[in-house]
Amino acid sequence: MLLRDAFKTATRSLTHGKMRSVLTMLGVVIGISSVIILMSIGQSAQNLILSQVQSVGSNLIFITPGAPSGKGFSPPASVQGIVITSLRQQDVDALQREPSITAVAPLTSGQAEVVYGNNNKTVSYQGVTADMFPIRNLTIGEGFAFTKGDVDSANHVAVIGPDLAKTLFGSALSPINKTIRLKNVSFRVIGVLSKGGAGPFGVDQGNLVLIPLTIAQKQLLGISHFNTIIAEASPSYDINFAKSRITFALRQNHGITDPAKDDFNIQTQADILSILGNITSILTLFLAAIASISLIVGGIGIMNIMLVTVTERTREIGLRKAVGATDNDILQQFLIESVLLTFAGGVIGIAFGAVIVGAIYFGINTFNPTLGWVFAFPLSSVILGLLVSGIAGIVFGIYPARKAGKKNPIDALRYE
Amino acid sequence: MIEIHDLQKEYVEEETTTRALRGVTFTIEKGEFISIMGPSGSGKSTLLQILSFLDRPTGGSYKFQGKSIDDMTDQELAHVRNKDMGFVFQSFNLLSRLTVYDNVEIPLLYSDVLPAKRRTLVEEAVRSVGLEEKLHTEAGKLSGGQKQRVAIARALVTDPNVIFADEPTGNLDSQSGLQIMEILESLHNKGRTVILVTHETQTAEFADRIIRMKDGMLESDKAIAVDRVRDNLK
Repeated sequence: MLLRDAFKTATRSLTHGKMRSVLTMLGVVIGISSVIILMSIGQSAQNLILSQVQSVGSNLIFITPGAPSGKGFSPPASVQGIVITSLRQQDVDALQREPSITAVAPLTSGQAEVVYGNNNKTVSYQGVTADMFPIRNLTIGEGFAFTKGDVDSANHVAVIGPDLAKTLFGSALSPINKTIRLKNVSFRVIGVLSKGGAGPFGVDQGNLVLIPLTIAQKQLLGISHFNTIIAEASPSYDINFAKSRITFALRQNHGITDPAKDDFNIQTQADILSILGNITSILTLFLAAIASISLIVGGIGIMNIMLVTVTERTREIGLRKAVGATDNDILQQFLIESVLLTFAGGVIGIAFGAVIVGAIYFGINTFNPTLGWVFAFPLSSVILGLLVSGIAGIVFGIYPARKAGKKNPIDALRYE
Repeated sequence: MIEIHDLQKEYVEEETTTRALRGVTFTIEKGEFISIMGPSGSGKSTLLQILSFLDRPTGGSYKFQGKSIDDMTDQELAHVRNKDMGFVFQSFNLLSRLTVYDNVEIPLLYSDVLPAKRRTLVEEAVRSVGLEEKLHTEAGKLSGGQKQRVAIARALVTDPNVIFADEPTGNLDSQSGLQIMEILESLHNKGRTVILVTHETQTAEFADRIIRMKDGMLESDKAIAVDRVRDNLK
C-alpha cells in the first residue's frame, strides 16, 4: 500500500469519529503542553537568574571562605552552618595593592528583624563599604548612598530596598532621615535603592538593608572577618590572570604552600553563571520529567482507544485482508492512525502551551513589571514536543496495530 | 486452474478435534461456473475459504494455477487474493461510511495499479454493475441489492481470474437475488471462473456444475443442463 493511500485511509478513519479523536488527543495535548509550559518557565527563570548575575558586571571576582568545592557544586561553607574566619582585613589590603584589581569590597551579612514604629519585617542585611555601590551597580532611587567616611566613622546610617521602604513607611511617608531599628541598634535611613526584585545569589534586593561594614562587624555580628570579598578586575588584565593573582596573594597571606589546602574559594562571574546554568537546567529537566508523566497517561489513553478501535473494526480488517492487504499493510494503517492522533495532539499541545506561556509572561509583567521576566519559548521544546508526540504514537500504537495486523481474516470476517 | 487432492481440514479446540473436510478431491478448469452445495456443517464454506486462500488446509494438496499453496508465504497468498481472486460475501462486507467509489477502490489500494489508473478501473467496474449514478453515495445508504452489486464491482475491479461468492443471494429478496445471479452469469460468459457456495437449489442451478458436500466429504460432482434450467428460472 502506498504511504499516501495509508495516510488518506487513516485520516478518513480519524475524521469519521471526530469527537472520539479529539477526546483521545486530549491526553497528549495536556501532556505535551505541560512539558512545553514547564520547559519555557524553566528557561525564563534561568534567563532571569543569569541576567541578574550578569547585571552585576562581568569583571567581578567573588572570594568566599572555605575550601574550593572542586568540579561539582556544593553550597558555600557558611550556608552549611560552618563559620570560617579565613577572610580578613589584611586580605583586602593585599588585594588593594594588586595592579590587576581596580576595587575591592568586603561584605558581611546576616538576618534580623527591622522595625519602624509598629511595622517590622525579617530581612537580610549586609555590612558593606562605600565601594560596594559602584561595584554591584546598586543605584539609589531616593536619598544617597553612604560614604567611605560613614564606614570609617562607623556611622549609624542605612540604605534600604524599595519594597522594605514600602512595608515600613507606606507609600505616603518618605523613609529618608527616619530611624529604623535592626537588632535593637538604631540606623538613620539615608537612601533607598532604585531596583527591587531578586538580586544575585538569591538576595531579595527589594527587602535588603545595607549598613556600613564596621557597624555590622562590631555591633551586629561581633566578628572581625568577612563573609565575602568582591574584587573588580582591571579591564587592562585578563580576568583569569587577576584570579591567579588573588590566589597567589591570599595563599601568601594565609601561609598556604599546598594548593589542596586552600581555605578560600574564588569564583568569577563566568563560574557562577556556569553553576547556576547547570542548576536551573537540571531543575527544568526535572520539571519536564514530572510533566511527562501526564504524557505517559495520555499515551496509555491512546493505546486503550486504539485497542477498542481495532476490535470495533475487526470486520473491516477481515475484508481488507481478504482483498489483498498483508499483515504489514494493516499494521501500517493503524500505526499511522495512532501517530497522526498523537502528532496532532502534540501540535495542539505546543500551540496551547505557547498561549499559556504568553499569558504567564503578561501576567507576571503586569503585576510585577520590575522583575524583568522574559518570554522564553525555546525551539528545543517545540522540536522535543513534536518528536515525543510522534514517538508516543509509535510506542503506544504498535501493540494495537500489531494486534490488528495479526488478525486471522476468516475470524475477522465472521466477527459480530 | 484449481486442483485439490485429498484435502483435509481439522479444527482443534482444547481437546476436541473437528474434521471439517475429510479428503476432498476435484479439479476446476478455467472459465467454469461451479456451485458448491450442502447442508449446514457439510464443509462447503470451509472448502470455499481454502480455495480462496483465506485459510490453509491441514492435509492433502491444493494447487492454484499450477502452484502449491504449501510453497506460498502468507504474503504471497495475500498477493494472489488481490490479483487473481474476487470475493462476494453474503453480508456484503462494505464499509458503510465510505462511498461506493471508495469501497470499490479498496482492493486497488493493495495492488500495484498506479493511482492515476485507479479512477478509470473503479468507474468501469461500477458501470458494469449498473450503479454509475451512485458512485459517490455512501454505501450505508444503498438497498441490499445495490450493496451486493457494489460488492461485485469491488470483486471485479482488479480483473481477477476467479470470483468466489459465498451465499451472495442469502440476504436478498428474490428479485435482487436474480439480478445478482445474472451479473455473475454474465461474468462467467465473459470467461471468468465463478465458484459459488449456496444452499438454494435455484441459485445453484445457474452453474455448469454442482458439487455437493456432506459431512466434510464430496457427495456428488455433476454437470447440469444449464440452458434449460436457466430458461425455466427466467
